[in-house]
Amino acid sequence: MARSRRTIISRRAVLRGMVGGGIAVAVPLPRLAGMLNDNGTAYAAGGALPVRFGTWFFGNGIIPSRWIPPKTGVGANWELSEELSPLQAVKPYISVVTGLTIKGPDISPHKAMPVQALTAAQTGGGTVQLPTIDQAAAAITNTGTLYPIGLHVGMSTAGGTMNISWSGPNAPNAPNFSPAMLFQQLLQYANTGTGMPAAPDPSLLRRRMVLDAIAAESTSLRARLGVEDQNRLDQHLSGLHELQNQLIAAGTPRMTSATLVDPDKAYPTRGPDGNNITRMRGQAFSDLLVFAMAADLTRVFSYQFSSPSCQSEYTDAGLSGAFHEDYGHRTSPKGVQFATEGFNNGVKFAMSCLSDTLARMRNTPDGAGNLLDNSVVYTTSCVGESQTHGGTDYPIVVSGKAGGKLKGDTHVRLVGENVSRVGLTLLTALGSTASSWGMADSMATTAIPDLLV
Amino acid sequence: MHRITASQYANSVRDLLGSGAPIGPLDPDQLMNGFASIGSSSIVSSASAVGLYEAAANAAASWVFADPTRAKAALACVPMTATDTTCASQAISALGQRAYRRPLTTDETNRLVTLATTLAGQSGGTITIGMQYAVSAILQSPNFLYRVELGAPSAADGGRTKYNSYEMASRLASALWNTVPDGTLLDAAGKDSLSTADGVTAQAQRMMADAHAQQGMAAFVDELYALQNLHDATPDPTLFPKFTETLRSAMQTELEMRVTDMVFTTRGDYLSLLDNKTTFVNDELATLYGLPTAGSTAFRKVTLPADSPRAGILGTGAILAGLALPERTGPTKRGKFIREALLCEPIPPPPSGVVPVLPPPTDPTATMRTRLTAHRAAPTCNSCHSLMDPLGFGLENFDAIGEYRTLENGHPIDATGNLDAATFNGLAQMGTVIRNAAVSGPCFVSKVYMNAQSRQAVQADAAILDTLASGFAASGNKADQLMLSLVSSDAFRFVEPNKP
Repeated sequence: MARSRRTIISRRAVLRGMVGGGIAVAVPLPRLAGMLNDNGTAYAAGGALPVRFGTWFFGNGIIPSRWIPPKTGVGANWELSEELSPLQAVKPYISVVTGLTIKGPDISPHKAMPVQALTAAQTGGGTVQLPTIDQAAAAITNTGTLYPIGLHVGMSTAGGTMNISWSGPNAPNAPNFSPAMLFQQLLQYANTGTGMPAAPDPSLLRRRMVLDAIAAESTSLRARLGVEDQNRLDQHLSGLHELQNQLIAAGTPRMTSATLVDPDKAYPTRGPDGNNITRMRGQAFSDLLVFAMAADLTRVFSYQFSSPSCQSEYTDAGLSGAFHEDYGHRTSPKGVQFATEGFNNGVKFAMSCLSDTLARMRNTPDGAGNLLDNSVVYTTSCVGESQTHGGTDYPIVVSGKAGGKLKGDTHVRLVGENVSRVGLTLLTALGSTASSWGMADSMATTAIPDLLV
Repeated sequence: MHRITASQYANSVRDLLGSGAPIGPLDPDQLMNGFASIGSSSIVSSASAVGLYEAAANAAASWVFADPTRAKAALACVPMTATDTTCASQAISALGQRAYRRPLTTDETNRLVTLATTLAGQSGGTITIGMQYAVSAILQSPNFLYRVELGAPSAADGGRTKYNSYEMASRLASALWNTVPDGTLLDAAGKDSLSTADGVTAQAQRMMADAHAQQGMAAFVDELYALQNLHDATPDPTLFPKFTETLRSAMQTELEMRVTDMVFTTRGDYLSLLDNKTTFVNDELATLYGLPTAGSTAFRKVTLPADSPRAGILGTGAILAGLALPERTGPTKRGKFIREALLCEPIPPPPSGVVPVLPPPTDPTATMRTRLTAHRAAPTCNSCHSLMDPLGFGLENFDAIGEYRTLENGHPIDATGNLDAATFNGLAQMGTVIRNAAVSGPCFVSKVYMNAQSRQAVQADAAILDTLASGFAASGNKADQLMLSLVSSDAFRFVEPNKP
């Protein structure tokens, strides 16, 4: 039984982290077994288990004729298409919406369209105008966790530099390209299996005292600034507060149904950080994100499989050469036919890696079900059809059941409808009561009822 | 408030703590108008950015105190006991003053000394540990991570809002050195010498003669010439086996040396960089350029043959390989770069509904020129492509990694083109045409100006930009003179130079 693998820690052990410190902190308590009802489906006090949200992004689009499933419908009435076939193992959790369109103009290739798919608004001045959907979700589901803006990972730095997560204009949440660094970060909250906890690491208290000193010092700086700079400093200080919370919680193992996997042990040949995309590096990140969510360290993530216009080689898919150019634009010296088949394999490779993430979530117990039951994963790209940079037939995959709010196992075809309707639907599933999402041409005012339970 | 850029952070930490100090991964800069410094005035630091600053500061501080000789070199005084608060204060105020670009207040110094001594007094603590974390605190402080230059009304200047001497030290160190001020500059600020144009000029002259100025100029040209493109370039290894990581790095070095040599050593006409034949190569680059090798990995100054088709900075591998696609040249990309970076003419984005991808050629041996000429037959494409492609064609004798060629797919290359009414055949002539374009000087001046100010130019800057451009031309296009005029101008010394 899943519960037996959990480490039960005392509430006191968690609260011990609170001594000292000058920054006012809200100590986030990990979800404890005793706080769940007898079925493990909800908090004993009555609240539902939290729903997690992730953006899972892949660059360079699709081939619509190989992406769009032949039939629409629910369950056995529809089947995955060729490019979606790697998701077969998690099909009960997958919904695909096809035929959607980016409504605003494509004023900056590989930037304007993904920004609309992620924010439901046009780009502005080289940045976004609205927070990305993961941050809209974070505002609903992720307050009070140790990582309130979520954890953000990326596989390759080659090519595009457009972030897929923004807290607002000029406020990018850059991805972490290093599984090893993320592992070290999460290790602070893991049960390392050595029995009695070791003596607390003295550097934790020292680091906290440094943060206190900086926060105190910043008061006089803040007083001198105008409103705009004050807001920027406040964002910085809120980062310090979050770090302070993380240091307080560090050293206390979290109750979790997931194992923290050391990427150096499990995936030693995953390739250098930020370099060519490998399936192993993707699996390493998936393991780490699943741990973080199962341990309720955060409920939000963004996963940049490949960036917009990513040139990384997909060597694991047998594709040498720059993916965006050789395959996406079909300019491979080996000819258009070769490039087209290669591109198709590249999309399937991306979907295999998405399947790796989703399968790990499904295999992780969470309450009475699993993590994927209690999650929403939004998958999209930077263009529709890859070669023509199409804004129609935009690729959208919605995964997870959102704690029973999303149906799953559905293909809906909505030709010419606004892509942003998906985001509005997902935010609604998370509990938002807003009647619209986004602004101007890209704004959505109607959810997609076929996706919702 | 400007967040220091990643390169400023690295330079500053090395200047403060020692050249071997480790520089951890940082939140990426956001380029605006091509410059990190401009993006730095609006970027908001995320929680993960703050986490990276903390980790980087702890690693750098730990490096200093891992070796007593490093600590001794970096600090004005190294306390041996927790009771020696005089020494701790001295160390913190001296380091803090450079990092914060102004003297610390008594409160600020006391807070950090108390931090050090409190940590020393904890179980397992020592004064060395305490000082290590105090140094880390300095490096994590917003007072270090952001340049705070607010100015204040100056009665002596008709009430105009003027940067004070310490703010000017911060601005000079950033604009000329791309790092924190040194002790001499802060001493000048302490005497309020930087409140006058003459005082600023005196310090700026000293700074321009210092090696840090080359570091500042190199950082500027890396962005001016968009070397991010070179870093991101992915030439197909089967087509371009000569392209290696060492060659990529040599290309960047060549461009930086070429510029710093012109600005600081020969002190010649900056615009002559557009068509001159003097450059710097190591053997790997010499081979690519078809020049004799010297059996050495060291860079040496060389003069290309007088009849060499390669000339000027547009003929450097850094530009040519950066502005190409994995398998082929990118005349449109290259032309767009020339228009935007060298001529300050922004090219509008492709109109909505236009596919920004060149269709596959019907004849696989067609030259890029033939393919793009067909593309320009469409009027919607022609309006912008006619501004870019004819300039890119001038570079067609250089392939996707910058190697000279006379044939493309077996067809002789036609490298004729035009910049508006001026025509050319090949890079050597094109470089001269661009050099002679009336806008080249003022364009360069405006880029230098925006980067130094860490903001975009606005209408109110028109007069100073004209003045600086005239001065630049009158000096024979001397970039060092331009820098001196710029930093001593009212536009650089006042928040809003024209308004009380």
